[in-house]
Amino acid sequence: MAVVPVKIEKNGKWVVGKIDLQQDGMTILEPLKAAIPYKSVIDLVEKKNLLIITAKGDPPTTYKIASVEKVLQAMKRFIAMSCSAYRLMAYFMSPAVRGGVLVTNATWEKGAIAVLKSTIWFVSQNKQVSIALKEVTSMELTKKEVQKNQVDVLKLDHMENSDVVTSYVLCPLSTLQILINFLKDATKDLEVTGEELDPLSAQVGMLIYSGMDSHAIENMLNIPHKNLDEIYDRLLKLGLAEVVLVRREVQLTPKGVRFITEAVKPPSQ
Amino acid sequence: MVDMGRILIVDDTLFMRTLLKNILFSGGHDIVGEAGDGDEAIAKYQELKPDLVTMDVVMPKVNGIEALKGIRAIDPNAKVVMCTAVGQEQMVKLAIKTGAKGYIVKPFQAPKVLEEIKNVLGS
Repeated sequence: MAVVPVKIEKNGKWVVGKIDLQQDGMTILEPLKAAIPYKSVIDLVEKKNLLIITAKGDPPTTYKIASVEKVLQAMKRFIAMSCSAYRLMAYFMSPAVRGGVLVTNATWEKGAIAVLKSTIWFVSQNKQVSIALKEVTSMELTKKEVQKNQVDVLKLDHMENSDVVTSYVLCPLSTLQILINFLKDATKDLEVTGEELDPLSAQVGMLIYSGMDSHAIENMLNIPHKNLDEIYDRLLKLGLAEVVLVRREVQLTPKGVRFITEAVKPPSQ
Repeated sequence: MVDMGRILIVDDTLFMRTLLKNILFSGGHDIVGEAGDGDEAIAKYQELKPDLVTMDVVMPKVNGIEALKGIRAIDPNAKVVMCTAVGQEQMVKLAIKTGAKGYIVKPFQAPKVLEEIKNVLGS
């Protein structure tokens, strides 16, 4: 159907190659010379301008392919529509909310949803959206107004390049229930257990969510560094947060004090 | 295009007002006032004439939607960004119909809030 230029990872190195994209499968012409029927694909992960395709086998084979967006878009659409996955026809809206801000021009896309091993794909003629299951932060059945009717939709909150994004799925209620049950099972590791946070720790959590750093949190809540550290320990212990940066506080040595004192003296004439 | 603005923050909780104040201040905006309910919001709008208002929807006494109506009665071109908790998205349509220029859902992320404020200020 079309031979497209790509870069393929081979033995840890990226090499220039070509892929023949057909209706029911693709063939990596060079350098791997491998045929991949779409229905053999069990996982499809997107990372920036890179697709990671896993085809069934014993053991399964993984291909990392980089290319321009137009080529990747065609590959994503072909694979998501034909791969080995739980698939359902649905309408989706993604993103509907990004970082807490309503996306005012968000529209319903008519297409399919493919649930793969580690990713869910929303695929329409013009749009492909992938959500890694480990990045799904919450899901619920809710009502949304569509063409002046209140209808059942699945609301999915997930991370996308460190933004918290809300997407919606619209399809018959029975299908939504199957989907939500699957997602709950696939993301059960992320379930928040019974441990409750005290109000102050919850406020700290909210401030972290909003992007505040330790200094801003201490100032806003008027708490000393030691208390904030204890709260961080609690969040870390519950698996609700992770350390991204350890900042140091220092004081000047006598040599440092002397240096600064000298430095601020006016230049001698 | 106006990037930085004089902003009035309306929310019944001190915590949310402080959080928004920090975020908006870090984006270079000038926080000209704060209000804890809808009545106060309308009075402060009239007094301060801010470039933009961030307005909580659910507040005691006069709620955000009523306050938005009040502000739009004073200034039909008022730029008001509504702010509400997750799960209250049904208010979005009502707020936008009433004349809100933007909508923020709590919890929110600072960069996206600043982006939205910038968009509304420039609109």
